[in-house]
Amino acid sequence: MIDLKNLTIEKTNNHYKNGDFTVRELVDEYLKVIKNNNERINAYLEIYNDIDVQIKKAEEMFKNGTATVLTGIPFSLKDNILLEGHVASASSKILENHVATYDSFVVKKLKEQGVIFLGRTNMDEFAMGSSTQTSAFGITRNPLDESLVPGGSSGGPAASVAGDMALVALGTETCGSIRQPAAFCGLVGLKPTYGMVSRSGVISLGSSLDQVSPLGRTVRDTEIIFNTISSHDAKDSTSIPDNMRIIKNNIIKKKIGIPRKFLSGEGIDKEVMKNFEESCDKLQKAGYELIDVDLPSIKYSLAVYHVLMQAEASSNLARFDGIRYGKQVDGEKLYDVYAKSRGRGFGKETRRRVLLGTYILSHGYYDAYYNSALKVRQMIKDELTNFFKDFDTFMTPTVPFLPFKIGEKLDDPIGMYLSDLFSAPANLADIPSIAIPSGKSEGGLPFSIQFTSPYLREDILFTIGKDFEKLV
Amino acid sequence: MQLEVVKKLANLARIDMEEVEIGEIAKDFDTILAYIGQVEEAATEGGVRGEVSKVPESYHLFNIMREDIVTNKSGEYTDKIMDIAPNTENGYLKVKQIL
Repeated sequence: MIDLKNLTIEKTNNHYKNGDFTVRELVDEYLKVIKNNNERINAYLEIYNDIDVQIKKAEEMFKNGTATVLTGIPFSLKDNILLEGHVASASSKILENHVATYDSFVVKKLKEQGVIFLGRTNMDEFAMGSSTQTSAFGITRNPLDESLVPGGSSGGPAASVAGDMALVALGTETCGSIRQPAAFCGLVGLKPTYGMVSRSGVISLGSSLDQVSPLGRTVRDTEIIFNTISSHDAKDSTSIPDNMRIIKNNIIKKKIGIPRKFLSGEGIDKEVMKNFEESCDKLQKAGYELIDVDLPSIKYSLAVYHVLMQAEASSNLARFDGIRYGKQVDGEKLYDVYAKSRGRGFGKETRRRVLLGTYILSHGYYDAYYNSALKVRQMIKDELTNFFKDFDTFMTPTVPFLPFKIGEKLDDPIGMYLSDLFSAPANLADIPSIAIPSGKSEGGLPFSIQFTSPYLREDILFTIGKDFEKLV
Repeated sequence: MQLEVVKKLANLARIDMEEVEIGEIAKDFDTILAYIGQVEEAATEGGVRGEVSKVPESYHLFNIMREDIVTNKSGEYTDKIMDIAPNTENGYLKVKQIL
């Protein structure tokens, strides 16, 4: 028996090197848990059929001395990240049998390290949701309490790690889709700076926001993955060139801002706020300076996000025409083929968002919604750029409330959206943010704290994050 | 929102939808638009206060250039890409008539 709950990437690597167990033995442990629990949890939609080949490659790397810290590390992959020769469906019927014709950039990087991809994990359809209840292939349950949602859209990746069905996972974020499930499942989730990680081979939702994001049990695990997958890629034109990734002044001031007014809005759970205050105290005692700040524009972040995401999603999803790839439903004329393929292929949430995006971008309403959202996004960016002149980070709870019941909030779109209230500023301002477990509620549910730092300053999140982990 | 507007959007977006769902979406739209409508107000107020900057320092935008060269052989990926199309004939995508 291997103690899966306490493994990290580095510990596993040491065990491999010491011969405590082999890659195959560890993978078999995970496969055993998957066999016992996945039918209920539904973290995985598919276990890959070539794990054996991957294990042999990893073992070969250990034999010939080319192994790295990531060699033989069992990963799960969100269903919107392409792995050549395997289905990538974004948990949508329209891509149900879509086999990827190439590797995504991040997969290529991790293959070089000899990681083991165990399988693909469930998500909200096209990453549209905060609870993994919009997947065309069933809901995912939270392994910490199976009556609860795991969060979303990366609910499958989070459930796979929290349920001991993978050591670490790769997901994506458009607005909170990695940090919120990390919070709901008691894990660490990192949303990198926009442009740090290439999206080549990742199915798009909102292209001005999307980022591939690592998920694990510790800050260090997300840091190792981030360092491996973040380099320039010519195939993503938003990828930051290498010479612009250099940080000139990497001093950490140990000054944390608390946006008080932002935290006093409606719908924020008292228990969550109590844990937040306790977390603040711990940091203060550890030598951090915590200062209340006024950031008046960030309260608009969630509304701005929903305008932009819906607009961008409706444009991005225009590519699914039932002609070039994906599901085709027959019809009399070409129009009927389009409309039927999309009507049957897209789920309810996707249909609603594409329609709303179409409305937002229509001639009569473009200025009121889309253009206004762009202006306010700029206000938020300016406000935060100014704030970061004096501060390393600002801190909030990751989610305003604890994980909710399966079935809850499905008929309450705004209530569901509020999951991402604290996530949105980082995505809109292109800046990195991390969610870190901060203890448990009386009912045993995980609390989570979020730090957000300036453009390119993941290093601050890793430093503060590791300090904070020791205090919890 | 009027059902006719939602129907028109579904037509524009090429999404075939049941009558019942059109009604549901019309209701959802009113709720969601009321929520996201605050962006217009925020932009106007920000403009009045002069906070909507003209030369943004925090856009993180930069030009990306690359050589204009061919990087693959002609037809190198054709079979792979045609293999994932749902309906093909003799190396062509097969589509229904437009009109």
